[in-house]
Amino acid sequence: MSEKRPKSAPSLVTVDVGSVNTRAQFFDTVEGSYRLLASVQAPSTTAAPAHDLNIGVLDALEQVEELTGRVLLSERGLLISPDEESGAGANALTATFSGGPILKVITIGLLEGVSLTSVNNLVNSTYAQIVDSFSLGDRRKPEAIIDSISQTKPDLIVLGGGTNRGASRSVIRLANYLALALKLLPENLRPDLLFVGNENLQEEIESLLGALTRLHLAENIRPNLEDENLGPAAHSLSRIAYEIQARKVPGLDQLNILAGGHYHPTAAAFGRSIRFLSMVIDYPKGMLGVDIGASSTTVAAAFSGELDLKVYSNLGIGRGLNGLLEETHLSQISRWLSPEIAEEDILDYLYNKPLAPQTLPATEQDLAIEQAAARQIMRLAIGKSLAGFPQDAIYPLPGTVPWFDRIMVSGSVVAHAPRLIQSLLMILDSIQPVGIATIILDQNNLAAALGAGAEINPLLAVQVLESNSFVNLGTVISPVGKARSGSPVLRLQMVIDGEKKPVVEVNEGSLQSVSLPMGKTADVYVYPLQNMDVGLGPGHGGWVRRVVGGRFGLIVDARGRPITVPSQPDRRKANLDNWQQYLLES
Amino acid sequence: MVAPVTYIQSRTTIRRRRLLDAEGNVLVKVGDLVSSADTVAQAATSTRHIMLDAARALNVPENRVAGLMQRQIGEMVEKGAIIAGRRAVGARLLRAPENGRVVAFSGGQVLLQVDDESTKLPARLAGKIVDVEPGRGVILQYSGAWLQGVWGNHRYGDGILQLLAKRPDHVLTADAIDMSMRGAILVAGHCNQLQALELAGQVPIRGLILSSLATRLWPAARKLEYPILLTEGFGRLPMNQVAHQLLSDLNGEAATLNAQPTDPFEDLRPEVLIPLSDAGTPPLPTEAENFRLGQTVRILRAPHAGEIGEITALLPGSTLFPSGLRAKAAEIALSKRGHALVPLANLEVLG
Repeated sequence: MSEKRPKSAPSLVTVDVGSVNTRAQFFDTVEGSYRLLASVQAPSTTAAPAHDLNIGVLDALEQVEELTGRVLLSERGLLISPDEESGAGANALTATFSGGPILKVITIGLLEGVSLTSVNNLVNSTYAQIVDSFSLGDRRKPEAIIDSISQTKPDLIVLGGGTNRGASRSVIRLANYLALALKLLPENLRPDLLFVGNENLQEEIESLLGALTRLHLAENIRPNLEDENLGPAAHSLSRIAYEIQARKVPGLDQLNILAGGHYHPTAAAFGRSIRFLSMVIDYPKGMLGVDIGASSTTVAAAFSGELDLKVYSNLGIGRGLNGLLEETHLSQISRWLSPEIAEEDILDYLYNKPLAPQTLPATEQDLAIEQAAARQIMRLAIGKSLAGFPQDAIYPLPGTVPWFDRIMVSGSVVAHAPRLIQSLLMILDSIQPVGIATIILDQNNLAAALGAGAEINPLLAVQVLESNSFVNLGTVISPVGKARSGSPVLRLQMVIDGEKKPVVEVNEGSLQSVSLPMGKTADVYVYPLQNMDVGLGPGHGGWVRRVVGGRFGLIVDARGRPITVPSQPDRRKANLDNWQQYLLES
Repeated sequence: MVAPVTYIQSRTTIRRRRLLDAEGNVLVKVGDLVSSADTVAQAATSTRHIMLDAARALNVPENRVAGLMQRQIGEMVEKGAIIAGRRAVGARLLRAPENGRVVAFSGGQVLLQVDDESTKLPARLAGKIVDVEPGRGVILQYSGAWLQGVWGNHRYGDGILQLLAKRPDHVLTADAIDMSMRGAILVAGHCNQLQALELAGQVPIRGLILSSLATRLWPAARKLEYPILLTEGFGRLPMNQVAHQLLSDLNGEAATLNAQPTDPFEDLRPEVLIPLSDAGTPPLPTEAENFRLGQTVRILRAPHAGEIGEITALLPGSTLFPSGLRAKAAEIALSKRGHALVPLANLEVLG
């Protein structure tokens, strides 16, 4: 049973419903500080045959009750709140959701490279598929908008355009086209409409379209030509997405009631955590988060509180494998396989998994294929996201990720890999970090939960994020530049508790861990050779203070960027096996 | 844990809602018997419109267009006919550029619908109309055999079942296909021969039920004009014995093959429906249920992919598998021989 807590320290239950798994966590104070006390998982029941997501939610909450000995729900199935002196209930419950059908959206803006791009960026920050896009520069005739709406049957149309002191006639013209299109559809089949353009036109848009459909107005996402302001509109989009999905997903409205309205799309909550964490990182380095799910993959990159959030609704390790196969060549997946597996067997696995996305790899071969596919999914998602990262992010080389201080990865395929070395390698191989970055594994799927919980209790998010509920795999030093294969590229020396450790020299092409006990802090002097760059300038070395040892101590990844894997099977196997050999858990 | 289900039933009753995407007319009434190809509802739809800038053509502000309209919404016009303008000599006029129907106007623009197609909604299920949703569609009740597949190529067909797969591990080759199969729905095993698929299309057959398909044939299978349904999946997998037995028993019966794609939210899966006149009104399929002892299950993943068995034990806690993953598991008595420990996530109940 839990101890009594001061009223200022409310307990929290978080629930996350994904397309395959439903997770629940329970947070409460221990010795004055918030801690994760229970984290459980149950199969999701959103789709066939159950068609009620609350079956999975109740299953997860019952597991929490069992683990904590705390009754959470009343006989009526509602959260007992605020928590009682008896130890029953919790003060709040938050819900995050990514397990529904993907929204079909038509995007419309004035200019392709300006407002339409911003509208697309907005829509790509949630679980949606853009089925068609229009701008004034579109070569199709205006009536193409009307025909597209009747053919694609979108759930939502997002209209942007015009700075707040800018274009009005063109925006109204587009709105008129939409009015015509909407009038052709029966009222119950009309899509929702979100207007995110010139705010001075909101009244006129309301009078034109307000009576025709569910019209939503949000702040201009392009208040001037230079700036993109997605935040308020993204908040509106999350609410609209909920309203649309609640009409399609049995039980979603009850989940929202159970959560007392503290409901968020999982990606938005994940992004909030990443943004929050970036605020304690010194510019120009940032924070990167990747959440790889069964149906979709989310990439969140934040620099000093400025977030770029992208959801790839067709890339995932379950149903989302269909998207992977459309976008990648098999060799891009098989290059990560050490055991020689026939091409046909790889394809069979990749084509069959989307047919039953809940299934688990029970054999070593299936696991190897799934982990290889996960690498390519994350690699693709990161590659697509690079263009949207803040313009002042600094990249050491074209095509690499920018300097990140921390990288956090969520998602069962990585976070619940049988061995931590598999998790680490999937992250290093796919993201290919540069410079000096700490790799954090979100084994309990907490990032999204805390992003949602921060709305209720920011203290909880701070304390849990700083606790050991996340797994620090280690700080990785990845020098970039050009060097001869096998030649020395880096020397480093650690100072632990005032004691200098032997100098370690690292050769190009190697991947190795350097012993630094878990949780132990060291100052590390890094000295790049051959003009390599670790983020201190080409050929520049220096002290890296207070490096905390992770599960793999300190890691040096000198494999170059991008990592090249030999195509010849024997050499590939030798390389991949060699890269595992010198990664040792502390 | 709620168990995924694949239905393979020799006698069952199914209720299906069939709705138009737009408002239309329902052509049947409660109690009517329909075949799968019968149209139960239809709607006037159009996929081509022309937008006419009336304000510009008439040289008036947008808000004055409404007052100058000479046609009502819904009115048919012939090419050259006046749509809007002052009724005065020499006045500017807006004329129809093509035959069509005035369907809307807003903001000085007039929308002309220039084709007038109708969308027909087929029953896709031979059965009885048990409810009508006016303007939208019907609820049908079907009695007969029902087999769900795991993959379909988005096509649909009706025909007579013709069994080629004498054994579950049958392999379909082109030399087994001939003109006598014209109009049939063939029941075969695995296929890894493009020539066989193409020849079947030339016959032409009305549909193909396979246990499995070589992955490299996936692009070709998607493009074929006739429906293909897989009972097991991709790779070389024999048909499960329950499905094979059912399809063998019903050889020669008229069937509907709906190779629609799986949509778990809409509860859509590719399926074979074989209406049976002597079926009566058997019970509806069982609803979702948890895994329990004695259930017949199919294993979905290696090392026993496609095998059928019976749950003999639900193991407590989590079980370690050769991949290193730990998961809730069941012990399965395999119908072939022996036992296997399988993650619950890799099982589905055969309903």
